[in-house]
Amino acid sequence: MRRATALALAMALAVPLPLGAQTTGSTRLVGRVPPAAQPAIDSIIAIAVAESLPTEPLIQKTLEGSAKNVPPDRLVSGVRRGLLQLRAAHLIVAEALPGQPVPDAHVVAVAAALARGVPEPIVTRLVTLAPTEAPGPALHAVADLIAHHFNPDSAVDLLVEAHNKGLRGMRLLDVAVAADHYLQRGGGRTPAEALAHVRAMLPNVPPAEAVTRHGTNGS
Amino acid sequence: MVNDGAPDVEVVARVLGGDGEAFGILIRRYEPGLLRFATRMLGNPDAAADAVAESLVRAYRHLAQCRDPARLRSWLYRITGNRCRSHLARRHTNDIPLSEAPAPALADNTDAWATLERSEQMALVERALSALPAEKREAFVLKHVEGMSYEEMAAVTGARIPTLKMRVHRAREALLVALEEVVR
Amino acid sequence: MSPIDPRLQEALDGERDPGTLPADLREAYDRLTGAAQLLAGAPRLSVSARVMAQIRKAPHPQPGESSTQRALRWLGRPRAVTVRLRPMWTLALAAGLTAVLLLPFQNGSTPQPGNAEGVAQFVGHFPGARSVEVVGSFNDWSRGMLHLNDDDGDGIWHGAAVLPAGQHEYMFVVDGERWVPDPLAGRYVDDGFGAGQQNSLLIVRPATAEP
Repeated sequence: MRRATALALAMALAVPLPLGAQTTGSTRLVGRVPPAAQPAIDSIIAIAVAESLPTEPLIQKTLEGSAKNVPPDRLVSGVRRGLLQLRAAHLIVAEALPGQPVPDAHVVAVAAALARGVPEPIVTRLVTLAPTEAPGPALHAVADLIAHHFNPDSAVDLLVEAHNKGLRGMRLLDVAVAADHYLQRGGGRTPAEALAHVRAMLPNVPPAEAVTRHGTNGS
Repeated sequence: MVNDGAPDVEVVARVLGGDGEAFGILIRRYEPGLLRFATRMLGNPDAAADAVAESLVRAYRHLAQCRDPARLRSWLYRITGNRCRSHLARRHTNDIPLSEAPAPALADNTDAWATLERSEQMALVERALSALPAEKREAFVLKHVEGMSYEEMAAVTGARIPTLKMRVHRAREALLVALEEVVR
Repeated sequence: MSPIDPRLQEALDGERDPGTLPADLREAYDRLTGAAQLLAGAPRLSVSARVMAQIRKAPHPQPGESSTQRALRWLGRPRAVTVRLRPMWTLALAAGLTAVLLLPFQNGSTPQPGNAEGVAQFVGHFPGARSVEVVGSFNDWSRGMLHLNDDDGDGIWHGAAVLPAGQHEYMFVVDGERWVPDPLAGRYVDDGFGAGQQNSLLIVRPATAEP
């Protein structure tokens, strides 16, 4: 009951946020970038444009660093790092989709996974698994498992099996949530046992909402 | 333990036998040339480093598919060339960004080329090279910078020897014109 | 572009002694070979360390195997799994994660998220704070757009927003100056600016079921 009240309050407070103005990057950066960093940032974004890489992550990284008052040299370095991740991501996606246009959303999702520390071979395997599907949820799922100290190879094996059994999109995220949730119950359970447990229930992993509700009530 | 002077075939066999560290010998052996080639193709050392690193990792992963380890060099150049073409394709055009250093003004054209400072010569040559279409640039670099025979160039590029000769000839003509225009 | 003299081409192809060229062709020969020498300078970069670091993490290439065979072998290979008991704080974090995780929109409450949107709830424990706001990629890292509330003064600040489905990075800004990651986010990513600071990461699920 308390939870229902809290949820209702949260909903009442919820306000639709204006998405970052849907304008060009340069417009959104005006007045927000330290002058010392501006030429280098412009140059990095121009390179991304020339290489057909998505620029939105670079614009976001610039806005973030500026908002945090990061010194110009580190700001530029951070944005350049973003460019390198986008390049690596583009190559991975291009190889998975030979002869086809490379979707920006795929590149952004892969770059985000690389930023989260997912090893490139793992990323490549998941992207190659279903090249035309949005890779974001599967990549986040494996990143979550790796961050929670599951063996990366075993984690991706589980996700591949889940995909083979028909789970798609956010349902793949549910697989990671289920494995982590099983582990969190304690009792000396190991990650290997958690993965085996979830594998045995595939494709019927509980939707995240159910897991979430359970966790809230149980804490 | 395989030594640094061992033939490519021997080093490849070691790597495929499980000695991954032996791949370092091949890197040391071919990295300078591959970086030079990629830099000339892409006009940007950072992009070249990315391309070569990606190529070497790819070569390692697919080393078992190298059908003739005695021709490893050609195989590595082929992978790197493909990677460079992929980078260039992403740029939409084959244009290479270069620093906008102004061309030096020359009052005396009697031995103008010789009077240029080395760094100025370098800038001029790079600019002339960057103006070539990628295929001709590649042919010129493989022939005259990497010192390959036309047979090896054919193995690297997959193009026929007469085609490669034609590309090299056209590249020379274009470069000569570009360099003469600068010093005239 | 006019063709250059065939004798020059022959000399450049190593089929003729350049010493036999007339003076004008010899000058062109020297210019082209000089250009090639300039281009042949050794690069100062090295990618050796980075390549070796990558291949040490890669599986060994196997002679005589196709990529499919390698994939099958990789799938079937027994793997070492780290056995690790969770400390209590991760349990608490997991429970907290459920409280802060983004819930699909459930009923007719306003505002109604669109098909590609979901509702994000933010909760943080900041006793004594005068203000807490959320700044992130969903608002172009702008201040003053999403304030949390602590109406009963118990130090629990909360708020919600309709956000586009997908990934968002964010941080809390406490009292207008202190940037802190959301301790209950459960997902983090290095912000890339070299100081080791981490952004919180949230994934918004679309309110409507996926096809």
